[in-house]
Amino acid sequence: MKSRTREGGSRFLLGVLIVGVPLLLALLGPLFAGEPGPRAASFTAGGGHWLGTDFVGRDVWRQVLLGGRSVVLVALAATVLAYVVALPLGLASALTHRGWLEELLMRPLDVLLAVPSLLMILLVAAVFTPGAVGLALLVALVNIPDAARIVRATAAEAAARPAVEALRMQGESWWRTAVGYVGRSATRTLAADAGVRFTGVLYLVATAAFLGVGVEPDAADWAVMVDRNRTGLFVQPWAVVVPALLIVALTMGGNLLVDSALDHRKRRQK
Amino acid sequence: MNTESVAEIDGLRVEVGGRAIVDGVRLRVRPGTVTALVGASGSGKTTTGLALLGEYPHGARVTGEVRTPEGLVGYVPQHPGAVLNPVRRVGALLWDIARTQVRHLPRRERGEAARERVLEALAAAQLPDGAEMLTRYPHQLSGGQQQRVVLAQALLLGARVVVADEPTTGQDAVTKRHVVERFAALRRTGIAVVLLSHDLDVVRALADEVLVMREGKVVESGPAARLWSAPRHPWTAALLAADGAVEPVEPDDGEGEVVLRTSPFTARHGRTTVLRAPALTLRTGESLAVVGRSGSGKTTLARCLAGLHRHHDGTLLLDGSPLPRSLRARGREQLAAVQYVFQDARAAFDEHRQVLDQVARTAVRLRGLDRGAALAEAVSTLAGLGLTEEVVRRRPGRLSGGELQRAALARALLARPRVLICDEITSGLDTVTRRGLLDALGTLRRERGELCLVLITHDLDTAALTSRIAVLDAGETVEEGSTRTVLTGPQHPFTRALLGKEAAVGVTPSGR
Repeated sequence: MKSRTREGGSRFLLGVLIVGVPLLLALLGPLFAGEPGPRAASFTAGGGHWLGTDFVGRDVWRQVLLGGRSVVLVALAATVLAYVVALPLGLASALTHRGWLEELLMRPLDVLLAVPSLLMILLVAAVFTPGAVGLALLVALVNIPDAARIVRATAAEAAARPAVEALRMQGESWWRTAVGYVGRSATRTLAADAGVRFTGVLYLVATAAFLGVGVEPDAADWAVMVDRNRTGLFVQPWAVVVPALLIVALTMGGNLLVDSALDHRKRRQK
Repeated sequence: MNTESVAEIDGLRVEVGGRAIVDGVRLRVRPGTVTALVGASGSGKTTTGLALLGEYPHGARVTGEVRTPEGLVGYVPQHPGAVLNPVRRVGALLWDIARTQVRHLPRRERGEAARERVLEALAAAQLPDGAEMLTRYPHQLSGGQQQRVVLAQALLLGARVVVADEPTTGQDAVTKRHVVERFAALRRTGIAVVLLSHDLDVVRALADEVLVMREGKVVESGPAARLWSAPRHPWTAALLAADGAVEPVEPDDGEGEVVLRTSPFTARHGRTTVLRAPALTLRTGESLAVVGRSGSGKTTLARCLAGLHRHHDGTLLLDGSPLPRSLRARGREQLAAVQYVFQDARAAFDEHRQVLDQVARTAVRLRGLDRGAALAEAVSTLAGLGLTEEVVRRRPGRLSGGELQRAALARALLARPRVLICDEITSGLDTVTRRGLLDALGTLRRERGELCLVLITHDLDTAALTSRIAVLDAGETVEEGSTRTVLTGPQHPFTRALLGKEAAVGVTPSGR
């Protein structure tokens, strides 16, 4: 048991470390970026530039410092927002005994589910040219159907338990039954889903940025950096590798953290 | 060391969180005998039994010596369905084991040899028509057949010791007799059976050696015959005494005020009609037992009354005013008036919150008490049922089944119900705990004269506690009358069968 605790602990530390680097860079990076220096030649290494220069001759390190905030914030906001809508929808449809209400809540989402998310984003982007906030809303919207279905499926199992009937027998409020018991029982599955979903959202936000939705074509943004600098990949790889690694670290570390947090809770409950 | 024994436990002590759940247990298992561990739930039977398999609770500190035979020890859990992979056929489950044993044969002969071994094991596990079982999935088997498939797995592995955990719990009389025959046959093949049970009928019919456990210690052990005729320890005596039948109570005079009245109704599950209930009239101070085998519709009847099953066409009248069919449409007072205690107490509690809080919530929600007053009342009600505050401050996972069932009863009682419906609340409990719970219900009837009690049960001992009995078979009420009349002079053949078969377990030859 001791060794397992230590293993869980080290996984937690590893997760913190892996997720901490990109997160700190993203959130605090802009504070240390400083003033833009004069532009140098494109795709050069050295010359006072730590990680070389990018496709228009800007310092890559400075771009890295500046470029995380938009990706991370948009992805986080989109994930949270998706759940804010999906949780009440899923819980309500799992706990109701009225078939029509469940249909009313879930059926429209199925329609949304049928449209490929990237296509949807590109379509809307073509009409509205959204900014960062618009992108977050859009990505949240395409994630709501999946998230709501998972919430409902997980909650439906918990909602069918005698414990819920017993709570109703006690005249317990909807809120306490839904959130206090059903929601809580579903936490493990939902946390695992949130980890995966965050990864998916990050991918979607990065892809959207990569395709030029929600950000300027030369913006300081990790995803945009990967896209714009890939022409110089063999001349000056850092401009692509560093932002790409940071995005990977963010998703991987996030999943590790969620896993070890769940393990910890499970052990405590035993 | 006794050379005869195939497995031994010596001075076993298992500690979890500083509390010893098994302490100084000594056990000898000899081939071709049945060793029974009896005791109340939470007495350490299962922990001792699992120690033979080398399994201990999570984070346990274990001292002592456990010697098991070469080859594996078989384990037949209480719910055998849970250990069979639901997506694989029985044949595949057994084949996996058999295949590893025929590796030494030439490739061509392997298939035939494995098949032979599988069928042999099934026959030894009392499934003579085994060939036809092989293509079925576990869920297509009855509980008894699942039990035998698990047994066949153990035998195929060459187990010389089989640990059976509560093999008869929650079964009706007919099924119980089959289980007894099954293990008796196993014993004849020279396999040692360790029986963990609180069902004394089964222990009496099977055991050669009995160990009586209490709070982790063996209080008495010896040959079954001696133990039964002359128990030395007072606890053994109490355990045996609690096993007797209850005297039927005097029938009520039917003078109580009518609390709940129903029209005759039929209840459906989807499109299938599962119950045709007659008009029911429940009066204050009365108690009604609804008796029947599993699947007879008795739980559905109870759930209809409680508002948990709303697909029926009856009208319920509480004090003459209509009571909504669904729980969700019932108001506070209506909810409080009709309370229901669930069969599976563990599933009916939220595993994340401490029991006391959950019990007290009834008084907060249904009677508008503040939290402090509700907690105080919960503590005193629970204490009245024999649960100390220290116990109920824990989470449900750390309470035994009997303790949880009493807590569930307290939870319903805090609503001050007029009608209390108890669904099979004594099934799955050992004799002492069951007697304790029945006594508590008896006390309740005396102390709360206005309470109307409805007991759903398949156990006629429990039914004897009530004043009126309704017998259900396949969704129809076949007999209804005062308890004394029904138990002493049953009119319907089904009731007679139920009574006759109840007696049958006791007379099964012990095979010694």
